[in-house]
Amino acid sequence: MIEKITDPEKLRHWGGKIELYWVYTSGKAGDLFFKKLKADGKFLAAKCKKCCWIYFPPRIYCPKDFSETEYLEVSGEGRVRAFTVARLDPYEKELKKPEIYALIDIDGTNGSIIHLLGEVNAEEVSIGMRVKPVLKPKEQMLGDLTDILYFKPI
Amino acid sequence: MAVGKRKIECPLYAEGTAVSEEDIKTRKVTHYEDHPDIRYSWTAGQAISRFLNGLKEGKILGVKCDGCKRIMVPPRMFCELCYKPIDGWVELKDTGTILTYSISYIDPDARPLPKPIVVALIQIDGASQNMAIMHLIGEIEPEKVYVGMRVKAVWKPENEREGSVTDIKYWKPLEG
Repeated sequence: MIEKITDPEKLRHWGGKIELYWVYTSGKAGDLFFKKLKADGKFLAAKCKKCCWIYFPPRIYCPKDFSETEYLEVSGEGRVRAFTVARLDPYEKELKKPEIYALIDIDGTNGSIIHLLGEVNAEEVSIGMRVKPVLKPKEQMLGDLTDILYFKPI
Repeated sequence: MAVGKRKIECPLYAEGTAVSEEDIKTRKVTHYEDHPDIRYSWTAGQAISRFLNGLKEGKILGVKCDGCKRIMVPPRMFCELCYKPIDGWVELKDTGTILTYSISYIDPDARPLPKPIVVALIQIDGASQNMAIMHLIGEIEPEKVYVGMRVKAVWKPENEREGSVTDIKYWKPLEG
């Protein structure tokens, strides 16, 4: 049997890094949505002219019947459909305060959004709970999803 | 156009929206960007580890197989012809013969190089036929390189070697 390297210091390896960089634009309807949010702190949805399904976030057309949509304003308030509590960060380090992620059905629409819940303890969250968005101060808004800080119970 | 069983009217194409770098930079177009930090570590294995450690000592190491009588470089732990573990290590010479070569005018990012480089497959003296390693050729005009040319390794000074293929700076023509 041929002698093998047993000292791990003598076993060699290569370290490498995969460069990956992307820019993902919001699209026509998404762009309007974020600009409206940034400018007026208001939420846009889109209603199909044919089947009346209301998309949130908005879409430029209805994927069910390829019909045009029209934009309408909604309050941004909604109900928690589902939620999960994260106690670790993406690097598996313990978070000082657990983060609550919720799927929120937005009032007056058929759509929903995933966002953080705030001003509430994880133990107090329940399915069907009414929540409303808390926005960043206007001058700090960037026109992205972090312009909504979190949703808080009404 | 028919989609499924329904007849649906829709335009044949949708006009796109051009986005410039300026639109992104000034956030005229809302967007999300990310630059994930993806790293990997790839182990060299038993044979190549020993080969690299040998380079640090200024040695080119190969392996032999008593079945097919081949001397192999780069080394491996298993003879793929005899389908059995190799039988031992041998030190090879740091001279060889160019099997094939290429003149490159660009770097790995396709940027023009100030001076073209010659990359060659060098059959190492003492190893079996067509056992070769890829390396740079230096101290010669690229147009003077030819297949069959005899070359010798130019090593880094011992204190600068780190157990890497770059411990050999390049191969130069062997005089005489």
